[in-house]
Amino acid sequence: MSSKTDKKPMRSAAWRISLWATLAFAFGTMVVFVFLHNFVAGDIQRRGDVWLSGEVETLGDVAEHTPKDALYDRVVGEVAELAEHEVPNKEADKSEPDDTVFFLQSASDGSLILWVGAGSGEEPLKAIRATKILEDHPTDVRIPGFPIPYRVAAISMDDGSRIFLGLSERDELRVLRYLRLRFLLLWFLIVLLGFSIVFFTTRRMLSHVRKITEAASHIGHSELDARVPTTRRNDEVSQLALTLNRMLDRIESSMHQLHTITDSLAHDLRSPLTAIRGKLEMSLSSVSDGEHAEPIVAAIDELDRLTDFLNKSLDVAEAKADALRLTRSAVDLTELLRTMTDLYEPSMSENGLRVHLISNGPVEIFADAALIHRMVANLLDNELKHLPADCTLTIETRAEDGTALLILEDNGHGFDSDVLLHLFERRVKGRDSNGHGLGLAFVDAVVRAHGGTVSVSNREAGGARIAVSLPLAERQNTPAPIASASASN
Amino acid sequence: MRLLLVEDEVDIQSFLRRSLEEAGYEVKAANDGKTAEHLAVEGTFDILIVDLGLPDQDGITLILRLRQLGVRAPVLILSARRSVDDRVRGLEQGGDDYLTKPFALAELLARLRNLLKRNSPPSGEATRIRVQDLELDLLRREASRGGQVLQLTQQEFVLLEYLCRNAGRVVTRSMILDKVWGMRIQPDTNVVDVHIYRLRGKVDGAGLVPLIRTMRGVGYVLKDR
Repeated sequence: MSSKTDKKPMRSAAWRISLWATLAFAFGTMVVFVFLHNFVAGDIQRRGDVWLSGEVETLGDVAEHTPKDALYDRVVGEVAELAEHEVPNKEADKSEPDDTVFFLQSASDGSLILWVGAGSGEEPLKAIRATKILEDHPTDVRIPGFPIPYRVAAISMDDGSRIFLGLSERDELRVLRYLRLRFLLLWFLIVLLGFSIVFFTTRRMLSHVRKITEAASHIGHSELDARVPTTRRNDEVSQLALTLNRMLDRIESSMHQLHTITDSLAHDLRSPLTAIRGKLEMSLSSVSDGEHAEPIVAAIDELDRLTDFLNKSLDVAEAKADALRLTRSAVDLTELLRTMTDLYEPSMSENGLRVHLISNGPVEIFADAALIHRMVANLLDNELKHLPADCTLTIETRAEDGTALLILEDNGHGFDSDVLLHLFERRVKGRDSNGHGLGLAFVDAVVRAHGGTVSVSNREAGGARIAVSLPLAERQNTPAPIASASASN
Repeated sequence: MRLLLVEDEVDIQSFLRRSLEEAGYEVKAANDGKTAEHLAVEGTFDILIVDLGLPDQDGITLILRLRQLGVRAPVLILSARRSVDDRVRGLEQGGDDYLTKPFALAELLARLRNLLKRNSPPSGEATRIRVQDLELDLLRREASRGGQVLQLTQQEFVLLEYLCRNAGRVVTRSMILDKVWGMRIQPDTNVVDVHIYRLRGKVDGAGLVPLIRTMRGVGYVLKDR
């Protein structure tokens, strides 16, 4: 059991908790980052736009006050200076033609007057014409041939021409890309670290819970004097363990009380029954003629039925309280059924019933042999009493998925539908039954005390089906301290 | 045979004493553990019957004490308790026996006989049993009556062998279930009776003196004379 969870960490609660916690954490930090990223990007652009608007105005002034023929050189100088001064973190690499900044003047008819920058200026002119650029409001312009968009500011001159100043967004984008990369790397590391911390902490904590669960389920199936392990820390888990142990104390004491009551009840009833039976037997031996013997024999029979009823009632009462005391040993269910079928077969055939025993090899259970005998006897007595002549009873034993199965199927009338739901309750019996209605309650009680289940149904083809499943015996004979827990359940 | 009966219930003690004396035992009775201890040490008994619920001490404690004091006689434990104590199982393995109340007198007597037989040195296991004109060959697992071989199943042979070993004495249904089928159950149907009827059909054929008799309310007996 303890290794089961270790082998499959993906199915553990610790895994699920840390997965969800990590997902929430990762999503949250991502949202915060996206917000910050947008804020930073917007701020960089706003600063760039302010600078660009100022510069285009300056250039407008320069263009106005500089004679046409000297303008080109002047602008080239200005632009080179701008390109130099522009955004910090400028790439040192100067091998490519400098295309950081361009200057473009267009006439009112849209023709190119002056171009300072990389290339001929035709492509940028076309792109600018296609974009509506407002004054005082720099706009993104994509120019074919340049992978990175330009931020372009415009100003109108008095002569109707327009001046455009374009600044590549390369550096802005590089800053943002750098920011994103750094963030993603750190984010990934932090998420991974967070996941590991949450996973190992919860797993450590839940392993205590698991130990408690294993110990507790073990206690349910064996002795009540065992207790779940406690830790010295005073956290919720150790509180749970302490509470469970206090609860077990109370259960143990009431169980002990129940045993005392049933034992003294049994003792107080059995002693007079013994005396009565003995006296009846003695008077039986002293009468010789059948006529006088008859009522004594009947009384003895009644007395034996009363004793049987008393035993079963107390067993059912104890089992209902999960307090049936078991003396377990290894029992081969198949062999047991073979013996019991041999015992019952003549009575069955006397009643016109056929019995088939289907065995699939030995089915070993670790059980109280005497109780299992009585349980099977109850089932077979039941069939014998209620099955109409000419019916067939099929008994099958087999091992399946760690459980031992005992299946009884007949082709009789089946159970009344109103009785079917309450079969395992005390005193519930069929209309034509003359038993005391304890039979199936006793069967259920014995099976439950062994950690198994009984299911009763009507077959579709007609008749009843009773399936008893019991935990198979463990491979090793020495019961491991905490092992039987959910191999059974 | 000297028998010490340790039982505090007056009713049970009186009818047990009467029936045991009828069966030929010389009975001394004790009401509590202390008296029982005195009697057991003073006199020598062949067998003891001890009830577990004594007023002054636990029956098991008494038995263990007697064993310490050197009492070797086998013990038949009577118990009105619901579960069989581990210590009772221990004693059972040590050669003693137990019986739960209420019991059939026939069963009590049979268990006493078995205990005494167990205690006496083995007289060589017989390979043949003869009861009147019925003969069982235990090696060949074959039964015959008046020279005529009976066609018995394995199960029927074991049942007949058990009846023959107890010839002349009553055996109850629960004794048959215990010894022949090895289970302590109390079926509320006539499963054992049907086995007996079938066996009787083969053993007590037409024209023969019936050997297997039903003792109503008690059990069965194979007549030995």
